[in-house]
Amino acid sequence: MDPNKDNANPTILNPSDLPSRRRESTVKRRNDGASGLFDDLIPRYNYLNDPFEQSELSSDSEDGEFEHIDEQEVYDLISSISDPEHPLSLGSLAVVNLPDIRIQPPTSPFSSISTVVVEITPTITHCSLATVIGLGVRVRLEQALPPRFRVDVRIKKGTHSTDEAVNKQLGDKERVAAALENATLMGVLRKMLSTCE
Amino acid sequence: MSDIQQYLLDYDRNKTEASATAQKSATRLTDGELRLLKLIEELGEYFNSEDGAVRVKAMSYLAEVLAFVPQKVLSLQQRNLLCDFILSRTEDGDGVGSCAKGLIALEERGKWDHERVQTIMETLLANTAPLRQYKQQSERYPALRLVDILMASYRDALKALHEATPDFLPRFIAYFDGEKDPRNLMMVFSILKVPMTEWSIGADAQDLFDAVFNYFPITFRPPPDDPYGITAQDLKDRLRECIASAPEFAPYAFPALLDKLDSTSMNTKRDVLQAITASVTQYGPRTISLYSITLWDSLKFEILNVQDEDLAEEALNGLAAIATTLSKGTSGPLHAYLRPIIKECNEHFEDAPTKQSQAAARILHGIAGVSSEVINIVFAAVLPNLLTLYQTADTMAKRRGLLEVFVQLIRANVEVYGDWRTVGTAGEQSANNALIQFRDQALQVLLSGLETAPINGVSFRLVCLDGLLQLSSARGLLTDEDVGKIIQLLHTIVIHEESFGKDEIKEAAINGLVDIAHQKPQVVVDKAFPAFMAQLPDTDADESKGYLTVLEAFAKLANEEQVFDTVILRLKNKFTSAVTQNASSAYIVALLSAMLYALTKGATRLEQSPESTTYYQDIVVPLFKRTSSTDSSHPKTFDDETTLDLVGRICNIIVRSQSAEHQHAIAQEVYTLLSGTSTSDTPPFKASAPPESDKTMIVSTHILASLRKEARLPCEIELLVSQLAEYAQQPQLSAPIRSASLRQLSLVINKFYSASALKTCLNPLINAPFEIFNAEKLDPPRIRIIFAALKGILLRSSPVLATLYPHLLSFLSHPKYGTTVAHGFSTLLQPDDLLTKQNHCQISGLHRQKSFALLVPNITQAFREATPNNKSNYLIALSGVLKWMPFDIVMEEVDHLVLPLLQSLDLKGEDLVKEAAISTLISTLEEKPQVIEEHAGSIISRLLANSIRNKEAGAPPRVRAAALKCLMLVPEKLKLESVLPYRRQVCKNLTAALDDPKREVRYAAVKCRSRWLEVDEVGDDDE
Repeated sequence: MDPNKDNANPTILNPSDLPSRRRESTVKRRNDGASGLFDDLIPRYNYLNDPFEQSELSSDSEDGEFEHIDEQEVYDLISSISDPEHPLSLGSLAVVNLPDIRIQPPTSPFSSISTVVVEITPTITHCSLATVIGLGVRVRLEQALPPRFRVDVRIKKGTHSTDEAVNKQLGDKERVAAALENATLMGVLRKMLSTCE
Repeated sequence: MSDIQQYLLDYDRNKTEASATAQKSATRLTDGELRLLKLIEELGEYFNSEDGAVRVKAMSYLAEVLAFVPQKVLSLQQRNLLCDFILSRTEDGDGVGSCAKGLIALEERGKWDHERVQTIMETLLANTAPLRQYKQQSERYPALRLVDILMASYRDALKALHEATPDFLPRFIAYFDGEKDPRNLMMVFSILKVPMTEWSIGADAQDLFDAVFNYFPITFRPPPDDPYGITAQDLKDRLRECIASAPEFAPYAFPALLDKLDSTSMNTKRDVLQAITASVTQYGPRTISLYSITLWDSLKFEILNVQDEDLAEEALNGLAAIATTLSKGTSGPLHAYLRPIIKECNEHFEDAPTKQSQAAARILHGIAGVSSEVINIVFAAVLPNLLTLYQTADTMAKRRGLLEVFVQLIRANVEVYGDWRTVGTAGEQSANNALIQFRDQALQVLLSGLETAPINGVSFRLVCLDGLLQLSSARGLLTDEDVGKIIQLLHTIVIHEESFGKDEIKEAAINGLVDIAHQKPQVVVDKAFPAFMAQLPDTDADESKGYLTVLEAFAKLANEEQVFDTVILRLKNKFTSAVTQNASSAYIVALLSAMLYALTKGATRLEQSPESTTYYQDIVVPLFKRTSSTDSSHPKTFDDETTLDLVGRICNIIVRSQSAEHQHAIAQEVYTLLSGTSTSDTPPFKASAPPESDKTMIVSTHILASLRKEARLPCEIELLVSQLAEYAQQPQLSAPIRSASLRQLSLVINKFYSASALKTCLNPLINAPFEIFNAEKLDPPRIRIIFAALKGILLRSSPVLATLYPHLLSFLSHPKYGTTVAHGFSTLLQPDDLLTKQNHCQISGLHRQKSFALLVPNITQAFREATPNNKSNYLIALSGVLKWMPFDIVMEEVDHLVLPLLQSLDLKGEDLVKEAAISTLISTLEEKPQVIEEHAGSIISRLLANSIRNKEAGAPPRVRAAALKCLMLVPEKLKLESVLPYRRQVCKNLTAALDDPKREVRYAAVKCRSRWLEVDEVGDDDE
């Protein structure tokens, strides 16, 4: 057994059990219950792609619907981050979970600032890497979300022996900024984020 | 000057000339002009020289001369004399290489006796050991070659020497001490392998082992321009063979290897594991029984705590190899080996599902697959425990973990005992399968798991399903009745279960049915088919769409060859009754789709029997009649173009594999479709036909596509071409019918003209009165005809293209229709599902290259000279050509294309053009980034402009996403110094794309931006 790992033998979720967006969209798209097996029998370009009649084509998918950033999207952004001690994703280790992600709309109608709250669940209560994981999630979201979002990453209450302390560390802007100056730490973070899709 | 003097003179100056002198001497010796005695006498002076270098050269001369002398010139006596002489020269500290060469030359000219071989060997050891005293690789190499020859040809003599002389082997081993050159080492390893495998090595085992193991692990890296072609792998392979060659090595090999397994280098560990596997395979069961448990204790860590996937794989191979070797011996050691493994794995299963329980399953799967004996032991010890754990498990996750293990074991079982169609590795002995004892329990657990688990336990149910499939395929295991139960459960899931999530279960259930149909076709036909058929109504008066899923599943079953005929037959019958009972169009279309899908899957089967006309009679003939008739047998839905397209495709698949003769007959009905009317009364020959009959053109197109090029058309080909051209211009035609007529034009030109007639095939259209290339008569219908005709020609790479394309290119500057023509270029090379090899079309392998060469340089040329108004037409045409061009063709010209491509990104409203341009830029970045290097600034700013949503003239989401994908490649492919100045600008601007309304674009933006954020960090590392 590798003594350097806090938890050398974690429980792993199966990929088909992780929440994903595809589930809703397939159901929405087909209301007849079919899976679309016969859809490609007739290649689409034959009748639909008449290059001499341009006008209808350009407008095919113009921005009609505004697809808002939702919890699932945030989940997709962070669930593929790798755990620093296992070659597994935070999603499959259940460190990040869809129900623990909340998007709070702007507090007043004059403000455009929304807040994303992510609560992470360490695999064991004394996990020494919880701060690093939290930092990774934070960095990822700050890079990937538009500036109108505030990011709040914390340890889920009662899942870690020192959750208060860790939360304080993660919430402190100065300390986060200082941590990101640390080359070794940045190296670990880069490795964690390298698996992000 | 004597030859030897000449040789000595040339030796340092020019090796070739020196050799020529030696050759001359050899010739003189052969011709009798020079006597051997004389030659040696002449040499005497030099052999006695004070100067070592001269002595070496003299020996080299002798060796060369000997090598040039033909066979049978030297008598046995002479050879013996020479041999003794040369051997005596080995006392001299210099020139061992030449001595060895001389001896090798002598050996080639006559076999030696045992005694002589032994003398030579002993003398070599006495005079030249250790070999490392000679500094030059070229000196040592011939000596090694000599020993290698002795080993190869005089094995008995050397073995006798070894047996007679107790201290021979140690001296022999020490002889090679300290060799470092890879070429020589290859030789040493192969020499030493002989005593290792063939001699009794007794007390010298350790020395012999150390002699080779000192080189472990091989870390040799060949020089960049290695002239000898020896790789580290060659050395590793030989060394591994040596290590594995003698069971006497075991006491030294295993501890040493296991010690090196703790290394931090992946390469070393890999070598260790491979050496262990090789040794285990070679040493034999008796030796291995002593080390099996020690090995298990070390190897297991590589699998339980995977560091590297391929190391785990190697370790598994090692464990399996131990089991294989022990299976060859008595059963005691095998049990002793398996006991701790089974014990430990059983312990890991207790807290499944964890990383280690998964690893334990891997281990058991690997070991169990070895032989029937092993798998029976494993099953007897593991399955009861597994089933008990399963019954007492408190969570779904745990149950799933346990079942995953179980399924792996069943899979190993199928490997060993085989499935219903093939015998497994253990041969035909399925009656001894230990799984039989657990059969009923296993079936019950898996069936009830799949049946009763809640619908959202997707992964759990998937595992159950997988297990059931494995069980059903295990050779001789389940009765047909039991397989029937599985089938029943599967089709119930397919038919009745409500949809959930991504419907993985339903999909797996359908695929499972196909798999079972492969193993047990009749049971599937008996059990599943009636259930499916019962779900398909004859008519869909209640308008429910439930039949769609059933149809999909049923059509998929056609994938399995053995039930294909039955699937088609049932679908056809359903179709007939649906039509007679006036079912809705939607239902008929669904049935036709299912039929088409099934036929597509079975197309190869149809091709194998071109003589059989069953499907033609049963399916094509009724469809023809329904299409062309006007009475009640003509279903209403057959007036719909999409339906007719399906009908056409079904007929196409069946007709295209029919024999040539039969096709002749069918060809006469291409337009009449068995309606009994004459061809001249049908479109395209009769202009004023009722609109319904125009629709039959769609079916005709598919039939035309299915004909072989030898088939006889129902009328003269010139007439057909001009009729089609006239017909396609009619303004009242619907888009599908027009498209069908144009494709007929392409098909006819492509298939039915001879190569010589092809050159003039367009003349009827070019000449008056049609004058298709007359710029004044140009209009959209005519443009379509031009492109359709060209499409048929260009696939054959006809030389006539060189005269046709210029007309087309000149139209790009047409004041009114220039843009329309430009858009047409994308149709030229667009893949077409009718113009294919399967449809007997003539497609030249180089047609893309040909069109590229004729079009692209001319377009870029004309683009530079074009007026600003027309420039966009050339860009559109260019992107249309490039869109379907494989990038390796584009690559040659891409230097000239970058500028026009970048300018295409500035076009307004031409989104398809932009998309094509971006995709070419992506390929360029991937394959040939250097041509973009100098345009870095310009490509970055244009891509940025296209990736950000803009209210007025913004690009649509697809273009934005494509631009972002391309922009992401820029820092990856271009040099750091080219992109670094733009980092800030890109990252800042991309925050806007992060807030794009479309998710797809945001997704691309996130990836792109994080790639650009890294640009700086890479820079930091370099400093």
